Amino acid sequence: MYRYFMPAHRVHVAIGVTLLAACATPQIGRSGGGVAAAPAEVASEPCLLSTGDVTTRPRTITIGLTEPVDPRHAPIARNDAERIVFRHLYETPVRVDCQGNVLPELAEKWVREDDGRRWTFRLRDDAHYWDGAPVTAQDVVYGKGGVGYTLAAPDPRVVTVALAKPRGDVPAVLGDAALAVAKAAPDSSWPIGTGRYWATSATTTPREIRAHSERGDTLVFRLAPPAPPTSGDARDLLDAGVDLLVTRDRALRDYAATLPNLAIVALPWDRTYVFVTAEAGGSRFDGLEQAVRAEARRAEGGFWWLDLRACGAASGHGISSPAPAAATPRRILYARADPTARELAGRLAALTHAATAARAPDDLSAAVAGGKEWGYVIALPRITTDPCRAAKDLLPSWAATITALVDTRATAIARRGVARWTVDQDGTVHQ
Amino acid sequence: MSFRTRLLAAFGVVVLVPLLVFGLGIRTEMSRRVTGEYERRVDALVGVIRADIARETDRIAGRLAALKTSLADDNTFRTDLVRGGGGGGGGGGGAGGAGGDRGYILDYAGNAMRLAGLDFLQIQNDEGRVVSSGHFRNEFERLGPAIPHGGAALVRAAAAEGPFLALVTSDSLRLGKTLRLIGGVAVDSSFLARLTRDPELGVALALPRDSVRADSTASVVAVVTLPFVDAADGPGQVEQARIVVTRSDAFLSALQRNVNLWFSAAVLIAALFALLLASWLSTRISSPVEASIRDMERRVAIGDMARQVNHDVKNGLAPLRNVFRHLTQVARDQPADLPVVFTERQGTVESSISYLETLAANYARLYPQSERRSTDVNTVVRDTVAGSGTVRTKLAENLPPVSADALVLRRVIENLLSNAVDSLEGKAGTVMVTTEGGNGVVRIAVSDTGRGMSKSELDRAFDDFYTTKPGGTGLGLSIVRRLILDSKGSLKVETEPGKGSTFIVEIPVQ
Repeated sequence: MYRYFMPAHRVHVAIGVTLLAACATPQIGRSGGGVAAAPAEVASEPCLLSTGDVTTRPRTITIGLTEPVDPRHAPIARNDAERIVFRHLYETPVRVDCQGNVLPELAEKWVREDDGRRWTFRLRDDAHYWDGAPVTAQDVVYGKGGVGYTLAAPDPRVVTVALAKPRGDVPAVLGDAALAVAKAAPDSSWPIGTGRYWATSATTTPREIRAHSERGDTLVFRLAPPAPPTSGDARDLLDAGVDLLVTRDRALRDYAATLPNLAIVALPWDRTYVFVTAEAGGSRFDGLEQAVRAEARRAEGGFWWLDLRACGAASGHGISSPAPAAATPRRILYARADPTARELAGRLAALTHAATAARAPDDLSAAVAGGKEWGYVIALPRITTDPCRAAKDLLPSWAATITALVDTRATAIARRGVARWTVDQDGTVHQ
Repeated sequence: MSFRTRLLAAFGVVVLVPLLVFGLGIRTEMSRRVTGEYERRVDALVGVIRADIARETDRIAGRLAALKTSLADDNTFRTDLVRGGGGGGGGGGGAGGAGGDRGYILDYAGNAMRLAGLDFLQIQNDEGRVVSSGHFRNEFERLGPAIPHGGAALVRAAAAEGPFLALVTSDSLRLGKTLRLIGGVAVDSSFLARLTRDPELGVALALPRDSVRADSTASVVAVVTLPFVDAADGPGQVEQARIVVTRSDAFLSALQRNVNLWFSAAVLIAALFALLLASWLSTRISSPVEASIRDMERRVAIGDMARQVNHDVKNGLAPLRNVFRHLTQVARDQPADLPVVFTERQGTVESSISYLETLAANYARLYPQSERRSTDVNTVVRDTVAGSGTVRTKLAENLPPVSADALVLRRVIENLLSNAVDSLEGKAGTVMVTTEGGNGVVRIAVSDTGRGMSKSELDRAFDDFYTTKPGGTGLGLSIVRRLILDSKGSLKVETEPGKGSTFIVEIPVQ
């Protein structure tokens, strides 16, 4: 499909693809371990999007979003748009870049102790909420924790992580979105975070979210108009001159390729679509890559959900049988707002003589948990910092057969020379 | 059965029988016309359905022809098809759609279908496998429906959300390979609703394996058949589907009920009016006839009595005449024997006289004999009205006694009270007896608030055998007046039609 790119762009695209080739197979825990790892040693430059030199930095940057954003989901994102917005508003103790390197965020440095069984993180001195209140270690650990690790706050500035199994590299689980620090806002809109940008209900409208920084910078998240034929489509965002837009729509990408001064960069393979069913055994389905309009490849590599033994009963995976499925008809459910899931479900339906049905995200989660339908097409993160939490949140608790269908990745469309965009391990693009 | 009843029955029969015959005739004719109208409407609807299907098929065929032209000119499609994007193998196509732009071909039918305003569009290769599908993009490489070439057919087509019905037709072209275009429109409830031009007729679709619905409220009145292919799970085979025109039995039943209801109501109302008319006519006719009959009967009775009296008197007089002739003859011819003969015939004379006296006494018993003596009027009035709750009294104190027979007086008051109560005719009203004295008489007034009398009625009120009461003898007031006159009294009447009457009896004081 890159044959549609304008010749002037091809070089940049090639550079972008080359740089992100490594990001396509990032590995957790590649940062240099050691007894006292120095975060500064980790280089994040390879995760920069190649969008040209930034000569003049504008005070306002506009990011186009093609999916809805709901502040009530913050800080745990449910789609690409929320990932971008939340990434700028909320912080985790550490973050993991596209190569799997653990980088400081709320924690500025860390120390490995007890042969890797205990890790001590020291919070940044200037870490504070948007309302000015300082972030304490108690804020980080309160109500948090997971399988295989325990959080503690022995000091207001110190967070300790006790691991069930020793490890030599920094536990990337502290970069999991579930550990993002936030507290409820008085107006019950955006939770108050600690990120560089802040937003409130006063800066949020149905069409855009304005996030401001203490330095006077502004990020404008502009939402795409409702789907056609109501009033337009995501191409309107590009026409309106957004500085960044992340999309999985190849048609939108191709349209961007016809516009001047835009860099088009493929992001890491970050999402794997799977078919979940109670039927035993697996199937090989043909024509899946052609069935979807998103950039897709046959799912490959090791999948985190294949080995959840470490999660034990806590993950709940595979410990009970699903509810008996209805006799007829065989139906495959998918998330309504996910076109790739719809297309894959359609292809599976064509191959298995089943029917498809769309569900809202919450309803789909409930349906998967119930297990009453014949099958489900769901999207899983290609890589996760906390497989146990991901399994608990995304996979059914009953004994399911999970067949990987395709890997997909998004494309970043960025205006050249406007900002330096970085890619995280989960494919999130941020400043 | 009385004359009036017979007259009423005769009128009823004369009016009701033709009315019933007329109503049944109208009802039968109405049913016949409704049935005929239905049959014409069904025939028209079947014609409309056939024409609609043919027109829709032509419309689809026209759009397929346009698509065929566009497809033939599309070099991208041709190139990708030739390079292997047109199916026939399962793999191929990486992230960018290698091996020909499979995405272009796969999306082609969808875009074309939307532009053509169709609901179903498939491009099949020469094996019948789907190269591109507009309604179900990702069914590529499946075997498409094996519909007959040309003409219209119904297809139960697979789609992602489940199968749906479509009216399709096909066309073909050669584009390096032979391709077949199948296009159609969805056959759903709105499609069937468009076929149903008549709100009282229903159109339903019956597919070969549909279980027959036991719909007792509708009758099948016509059937239109179409080729049908069930391609939900494979290419299927050609069968026959039926477009069934149904008529709602419920509607007809309701119409029938309404007709019967209105027919019954009309007959009942007409019968009621007929009966009322017959009743009025019979009353108008029978009343004077019955009065004449009663008068005749009374006269016959009087004649009978007169003949009886004549006969009885003659029976008593005949021996006397014979004895008198015998004595006359003896006195003329044998005067000396007259005493002897008289003695001999004296018994006969006495016997005849006795017979006549007895006869007179017997007839006298038909008429009361008054015995005038001092009588207290108030006492007689109280004794008469005792036990009658409907009669009120207003009696003057210290009335002087009158010279009259108490029984006669009682009979007079009873007669007047009876007439007064009858004049109320069963309605609410008042009957009152008042007494007062003065000017040498005692006055007894019997008043009522009944129907009163007209001038002509008053003129004849005291005639013998005149009455206005069914079954009355017509002698009551006549006898009353005679009894009062026998008692040296007088009788006056004050009356007004609709307001009542007052009979005033005056008896001289002793």
